[in-house]
Amino acid sequence: MSVLTLPSTREEAWRWSDLSGLEALSAAHATGVAADLDSHWIGDGPRLLFVDGRLDAGRSRPGPVTVGTVDAASTHPLARLAGGDGWTLAVHKDGATPPGAIEIVHVATGGASHVPARIVMAEDAQASIVETYVGDGWANRLTRIELGRSARLMRAIRLVQGSGFTSLRDEAVLGAGASLVTTILGAGAGGSRLDAFVTLDGAGAYAEHGGALLARDSQRHDAAVVVRHAEPEGTSRQLWRAVADDQATTSMAARVEVARDAQKTDGEQSLRGLMLKRTATVNLKPELEIFADDVKCAHGATVGELDAQALFYMTSRGITPDRARALLTQAFIADALSRIGDEPVRDAFQAAAEAWLEERI
Amino acid sequence: MLKIENLHADVDGKAILKGLSLTINPGEIHAIMGPNGAGKSTLSYVLAGRPGYEVTDGSVTFQGEDLLDKEPHERAAAGVFLGFQYPVEIPGVSNVQFLREALNAQRRLRGEEPLSGGDFLKRARAQADALGLSMDMLKRPVNVGFSGGEKKRNEMVQMGIIDPTLAILDETDSGLDIDALRTVGHGINTIMRKPDKAVLLITHYQRLLDYVKPDFVHVLAAGRIVRTGGADLALELEREGYGAIAA
Ligand SMILES: Nc1ncnc2c1ncn2[C@@H]1O[C@H](COP(=O)(O)OP(=O)(O)OP(=O)(O)O)[C@@H](O)[C@H]1O
Ligand SMILES: [Mg+2]
Repeated sequence: MSVLTLPSTREEAWRWSDLSGLEALSAAHATGVAADLDSHWIGDGPRLLFVDGRLDAGRSRPGPVTVGTVDAASTHPLARLAGGDGWTLAVHKDGATPPGAIEIVHVATGGASHVPARIVMAEDAQASIVETYVGDGWANRLTRIELGRSARLMRAIRLVQGSGFTSLRDEAVLGAGASLVTTILGAGAGGSRLDAFVTLDGAGAYAEHGGALLARDSQRHDAAVVVRHAEPEGTSRQLWRAVADDQATTSMAARVEVARDAQKTDGEQSLRGLMLKRTATVNLKPELEIFADDVKCAHGATVGELDAQALFYMTSRGITPDRARALLTQAFIADALSRIGDEPVRDAFQAAAEAWLEERI
Repeated sequence: MLKIENLHADVDGKAILKGLSLTINPGEIHAIMGPNGAGKSTLSYVLAGRPGYEVTDGSVTFQGEDLLDKEPHERAAAGVFLGFQYPVEIPGVSNVQFLREALNAQRRLRGEEPLSGGDFLKRARAQADALGLSMDMLKRPVNVGFSGGEKKRNEMVQMGIIDPTLAILDETDSGLDIDALRTVGHGINTIMRKPDKAVLLITHYQRLLDYVKPDFVHVLAAGRIVRTGGADLALELEREGYGAIAA
């Protein structure tokens, strides 16, 4: 077995990460037992269940998704481990996946799984995919996305692992007028590293990448996203809400790059952090790198605590302090989850966030 | 119903209430008037249990129980309602959700069944109608984008829905137009003028007292009640100011 080579926290891009547990997680034994999964399915569309990175065909109905060798490779330090078998979704010109979303549940029962995926959408194609990470162990994923002219892809990703680690790397290239909306909710008890590199490679493309990450105890979430505007008239939105309780750390580095040719770019970053305790840490790093001269890029980054006045107002009306904190935290992340267009999916994600808050605060 | 004895309280280490005593019996309406900075809002916050308002001496009993021993949400469940001088905005939480959560949290603590969504909405609609606030406004986030007067009306809608035993109303009349003042005055009478309830009305003006006639008027100055009288004391104060009394 090869020795795991991981990036060091001395590297700038990894300084907020904690990968120290991955060696032990990789060495752990996977039980392969994945029960009680019914609650994770949202609709009745195509569904795929991966247990420790392998398709459980008996409990899947992949619809348009094929499972096998995936033509994807990355030089990313974690994603490069994801080779071999995975899943592919190819949607032809003007095609659409069945109504509702394609749902993929990844269960980790221990150990590590490295799975590549590829989504290729031709001109004007449409698809919606929901991914849910549950269980324990280390789930490591690479997702390559290629969107043709005016193709539209909605992705919603929910991290609800009981422990362990989830590392996701997205590499997306958007053609002219294509749209990619990715919303991530971290509402489990495992750690995470969420990497993305999204390139707006055709004029007038639209990319949204963001979400809400909730961390407690000594948990760590770490997002590092680059959105690159290579062509003119692109629009990008990065809206992240970071919540940290106890000794937890939630970090996000969000970067917008605007190439020389990418005139009339409209880029917006909104990074907001909420510390539920003084012992918690939130790191926010908004970055702009602009080489074009006619662009509109707005960015904001703020970290705060719950509003003491609002807490008192709520408790003075009879709401318990715990519930008041949960309601205010839910309100804080609401913007991020409201980006999910599909109502049942949004409701399921909101319920996951609420469950996290109820359990903890 | 409420018995405040020799109450001393600090805010940020500064003594604000300095030996305040006041007794309110069921069925009574008491008005408190007094100069700016006298400690009126401080008294209301201490009674509601606001963090940072530290009682250094004295006692407060409500319905025979030690009020100061309770958390703010427990005081609410026991029947105490504070109408805020400056109602707080809560982005992202709708009035309807806020009030339903509040009402049912109180009921739970009292060992009562929660109110269903339908019953709650019926109750909310009745109170909103009575106080001239639209249901649309109740669906909006708590006080966000409400005008000063609308916030005060919203406080009264909340009071109507929660139906408390003791209402402490801190300058509920300020910011209200002439018609709204009448509506709110009427609302206070309808909701609170009952033999088993009581009101502590903090105000600067006689106007509200024309609609909600107090049984007692107190002057609070420099952290204590310095004078107590009947409804006509308010008229005297309006005529002569605090100078002579507070001196
Ligand atoms: N956080 C605080 N730190 C220090 N002093 C405070 C604080 N909050 C209030 N005070 C002071 O306490 C005193 C009483 O304030 P309070 O708000 O109770 O007055 P009030 O009688 O309600 O006045 P008004 O009629 O203007 O509403 C004031 O001198 C005020 O400056
Ligand atoms: Mg005041």
